[in-house]
Amino acid sequence: MIERKPIVLVIDDEESMRDSCSLILAKEGFQAEVAADGQVGLEKARDLKPDLILVDLKMPGVSGFEVLEKIKDIDPQIISIVITGYATIESAVEAMKKGAYDFLPKPFTPEELRIIIRRGLERRKLALEAESLRREKKLLEENFITLVSHQLRSPLVAIEQYFEVILAGLAGGVDATQKEMILRARERLEGLLRLINDWLDLARISRGQIIDKIKPMALEKVLAKEIEFLKPLAADYGVSLEFSPPEKPALVQGDEQSLEQVFSNLISNAIKYNKPKGSVVLSIRKEGDFVVTDVRDTGIGIAREHLPFLFDQFFRVSRGENQKSKGTGLGLSIAKKIVDLHHGTIKVESELGKGTTFSVWLPKADENAP
Amino acid sequence: MSQSAKILVIDDDPDFRAAVTPILKSALYDVVTAANPQEAKEKIFSEKPDLILLDIMMDSLFDGFSLCQAIKTSKEYAEFKNVPVIFISAVKEIAGSRFQFKGDEEGMVGPDDYIDKPVKPDDLLSRIAKLLKKQ
Repeated sequence: MIERKPIVLVIDDEESMRDSCSLILAKEGFQAEVAADGQVGLEKARDLKPDLILVDLKMPGVSGFEVLEKIKDIDPQIISIVITGYATIESAVEAMKKGAYDFLPKPFTPEELRIIIRRGLERRKLALEAESLRREKKLLEENFITLVSHQLRSPLVAIEQYFEVILAGLAGGVDATQKEMILRARERLEGLLRLINDWLDLARISRGQIIDKIKPMALEKVLAKEIEFLKPLAADYGVSLEFSPPEKPALVQGDEQSLEQVFSNLISNAIKYNKPKGSVVLSIRKEGDFVVTDVRDTGIGIAREHLPFLFDQFFRVSRGENQKSKGTGLGLSIAKKIVDLHHGTIKVESELGKGTTFSVWLPKADENAP
Repeated sequence: MSQSAKILVIDDDPDFRAAVTPILKSALYDVVTAANPQEAKEKIFSEKPDLILLDIMMDSLFDGFSLCQAIKTSKEYAEFKNVPVIFISAVKEIAGSRFQFKGDEEGMVGPDDYIDKPVKPDDLLSRIAKLLKKQ
């Protein structure tokens, strides 16, 4: 929203043009500024932050075309109107391509100038409004996610807290039946909390927010960390976890935290969908410009007809009433989105009853990269 | 200490105050509570707690970090500067990820400990005991 007087900057090497334009502009109630060449014009633009510039194409020194280009660095929303005595189709097209809003061939009448300036400023107003709306929306969205997160989790956390106190026997005695019911209630609650977390992750990923910084990092460190973290789970399921780190660091372009999430998901799936005394084997190999990590399990495998849907949101292979898996069905969908954002890809191979291998392809990082 | 320690619980959630009180009482602590920044300040001065549990996820206007900072460094709270402060929070709510206190970077004095909600009774009690022993 333009609250102050609109500022129009006239950049023309012809003094008479600068003077007459200034007069007309001032009469319209605008603040008119002038510059005799492109260089001064750009400097003044930097200082005065005009809403609109009138620029002559043919000037010695820094040309009108150059001004058109460079002015976008100063203000991407500025309105540039090109004026010139050499009005050719070619120069008009080129000016528009360089971001000019409109073209006014010399000689022009005061009325023609007034009309084009008014249109330009109207356009400027809209562009500024759109920009500020975009920023507001982004802020609202970010706050919305935080707000929803807080509003959804808070009550659940309060309920969980009561369960903790009751189960610890601090609110009177608890008999076996009551304890059982409360434990079941807590499981359902934790399922809901996981779902909220996953859903919010997805919301953040869609906005590209989940990737903080992509930089060269050693992939084997992430794998080692997740394996360490999931050892207890593997022990619970009676499954072995194997990983032989590569001799040289496997450098990839990645965001450590989100990649941790990817492998946490893949490895825990490999553990949970495994057979007793089964194994999960991790290995890293190089394929061209990519570093590929294979997560291979000796599990129950996935039927071929399910493979295309594996990465869909909420897709879960039904395993009957006694579903041991407490997953939300979002894990793989999130993992895939994260890997996609890394410009990588996830592939899966499986055979029902034999096992499954998930392969994560990530762009390798140059050893000498900053 | 010959008498039981007094713990001040600052949290705007009445359910949390109701749930955490039996936990603290089971370890024979005296419990006082505050539901907002105003009450918190009053109770600190009137009750003179030996330890403070402070929820940092309260009303966005109230900044638990500032209160902690004030307690530990300001002249106003000078007599309480050695009172241990434990931040209580649904920390994962804030960032949805593992919480890292960046206090040192911003020149802030941090809490003596922090614990996530829901708190496990024995976890909370052992942290409190550790901090009170140091006094």
